[in-house]
Amino acid sequence: MEIMDSDRNTIKIGDYVVVQRQGYTKLHKLKAHSKLILGSFNIEMDNIVNEKYSDTFQMKNTPGNKKHYILEKVQQINSPVETLNIEKSGSDNRHITNDNEISQVLTKEDIDKLKDEELNSNNIVGQLVNNSKTFSMKTEYSQEKYIKKKEKKYFEYVQIKRPTIRILAQMFYRQDPTKTLGIRIDDLSQILAYANIHSEGNVVLYDSGTSGLMSAALMNALGHSSTGQLIHMHPGNECQRNAFIAMQFPKEQSERCINVNLYSVLRCFYQQKNTFQEQEEIEEPEAKRQKTEETSAQKKSWQLDNERACKILNEKVDCLIITAKEHPVNIVKELIQFLNGNRNLVVFRRTQK
Amino acid sequence: MSFDGYKTLIKEGDVVIVYLTPSQIYSVEALPKITNKKGNRVDNVFQTPYGALRCGDLIGARFGTKVQLSKGWAYVLQPTPELWTVTLPHRTQIIYTPDISMIILQLEISPGSVVVESGTGSGSLSHALIRAVKPHGHLHTFEFHEGRAATAQEEFKQHGLSQYVTVRQRDVCERGFGDELNDTADAVFLDLPHPWLAVPHAIRALKSTGGRLCSFSPCIEQVQRTCLALLKAGFQEMQTMEVLQTQWSVQQRNVPVVNLEFVRTEKAAGEAEKKERETAKAVVAVPPASLPGHTGYMTFATLPPLWARTLQMSLNETDIDAEGDAE
Ligand SMILES: C[S@@+](CC[C@H](N)C(=O)[O-])C[C@H]1O[C@@H](n2cnc3c(N)ncnc32)[C@H](O)[C@@H]1O
Repeated sequence: MEIMDSDRNTIKIGDYVVVQRQGYTKLHKLKAHSKLILGSFNIEMDNIVNEKYSDTFQMKNTPGNKKHYILEKVQQINSPVETLNIEKSGSDNRHITNDNEISQVLTKEDIDKLKDEELNSNNIVGQLVNNSKTFSMKTEYSQEKYIKKKEKKYFEYVQIKRPTIRILAQMFYRQDPTKTLGIRIDDLSQILAYANIHSEGNVVLYDSGTSGLMSAALMNALGHSSTGQLIHMHPGNECQRNAFIAMQFPKEQSERCINVNLYSVLRCFYQQKNTFQEQEEIEEPEAKRQKTEETSAQKKSWQLDNERACKILNEKVDCLIITAKEHPVNIVKELIQFLNGNRNLVVFRRTQK
Repeated sequence: MSFDGYKTLIKEGDVVIVYLTPSQIYSVEALPKITNKKGNRVDNVFQTPYGALRCGDLIGARFGTKVQLSKGWAYVLQPTPELWTVTLPHRTQIIYTPDISMIILQLEISPGSVVVESGTGSGSLSHALIRAVKPHGHLHTFEFHEGRAATAQEEFKQHGLSQYVTVRQRDVCERGFGDELNDTADAVFLDLPHPWLAVPHAIRALKSTGGRLCSFSPCIEQVQRTCLALLKAGFQEMQTMEVLQTQWSVQQRNVPVVNLEFVRTEKAAGEAEKKERETAKAVVAVPPASLPGHTGYMTFATLPPLWARTLQMSLNETDIDAEGDAE
């Protein structure tokens, strides 16, 4: 455990990392020489490799190419509120006209130039303050607010984090709620609680599109080195797995999530019972056994997944969760047969009728 | 013993949930006899609005099935932390499932996590925390009230959960969580009248690689003091929230439809008047008339790993100034 822990704290190539700048977060797969576009910044990520999670890096302009930034690890950050020496403030805002264009002498081009020379929020905010006709008329309170707002815009630091379900759920919802069927973090937390998800038991999830958030959250709650299994049924050819992959579960854990197509697994359940039901114990002749082993080697991995899933369904499961775009009634009606008595069912749908 | 793992049959001594309707849920023990207040052994009979239930008869029945009562029937269910929360004997104010679920997700608790909690109170949250950390994690829960600490300990044992939880009787504001827990916790949860006093102790208990903290307080003044203490200690990602659960009522309604077409043309002779007002039948969801009650504010924060703490402290300084000015 100890070795694993220290290993988990180091940022490595191949990791999925969360890059955070102020309140904004973005998921990034770290490859050698990879670049990340964060708002208007184009950032080379190489310098975070072998550093530690939770470290903070400064975005620095690269000498040759102004639009590119590299990252440099920092130990200290000075806030402009402290470094700026504000001499004068107004007592109210009676003299201020609410027109940014007029009150600010610097043009957008001027500011861009400043940015390209050196992304330094202290400097830029300082220049903005010095070139504002109205700053000294603002009240102390709104001066501070102004500085904070500008500082945020030109903030040159990012922090690197390991993805967690909390971070992913918040990030996905903020970026585009429709990509997770509108599941908010409070929805997600209650689905997990009312479904009684914990380290043991078998769970069936039907999910028609949460970017892998549901399967990731469930697998996370089933835990590592435990017995719980998840059958993740999806309607398409490929299942959505973004969040699941980002969590980088150990192999032992991610293998306990079986991804199957809803139609194809049910077809297997009804039409190919022989592939997963216990065969009667008859001594098979050697030749025949060899033959069946051969055919099973030729089976596609999705077929094997269907069979694995059907074996579990056949014994019934402890929990059924449906997060569906579709009208859920028919799906519930079909899947409820696999649920053990005295177990939990949770259906989530954003829209009301 | 019925809280640990999925069970099929009710065994002697199990806690069993008796479910009549969504608002009539009770917990009983599957024991033929219990000791009454006078110290005598008597039959364990539970009176429900639908007749008496002899709890001894439950032994051997299947969880999830119906049992006959003299004037109706009830479902007997295996307890979950959620069902326990709505049926447990109250010794204090308790935390309810909407808040509990948010706490577990926000604290990033999963199997294997080590969690520190104070105070234990009635153990409502503790049961959910134990479910989330087992089998290889652990809950350390602290309560300074002697009786409550002892009862909680007894309850965990009766529920078959002892191996996942340690109850300690201690004033955590004065004496902390103990050196043996230094640098062990992934998450700390505080439900105390003066949580800010426990913040320095929480930092010692949290792993040097960092962790999450939650403080639950009913009043905003407590939240402010706690936030300030957390900022000063170098916490980041601070967020205070409140979870409000509302119940929409689903109803069949007749919605009157106003038809204004007829005013455009002259009424034909003999046409019935009633066409002008029609009603449409619809199933609608009606929001609650009053706002749901306030339970408490939850403040969440991240303690950065040791190597990132000094930097975070310097970053927090401006916020601390701002808070100080506001006071
Ligand atoms: C509101 S209750 C906790 C309820 C609990 N969260 C639940 O869901 O059942 C607060 C508990 O904290 C205990 N307490 C208060 N101050 C304490 C302290 N300084 N150290 C330890 N326990 C304390 C009280 O005795 C009380 O039982």
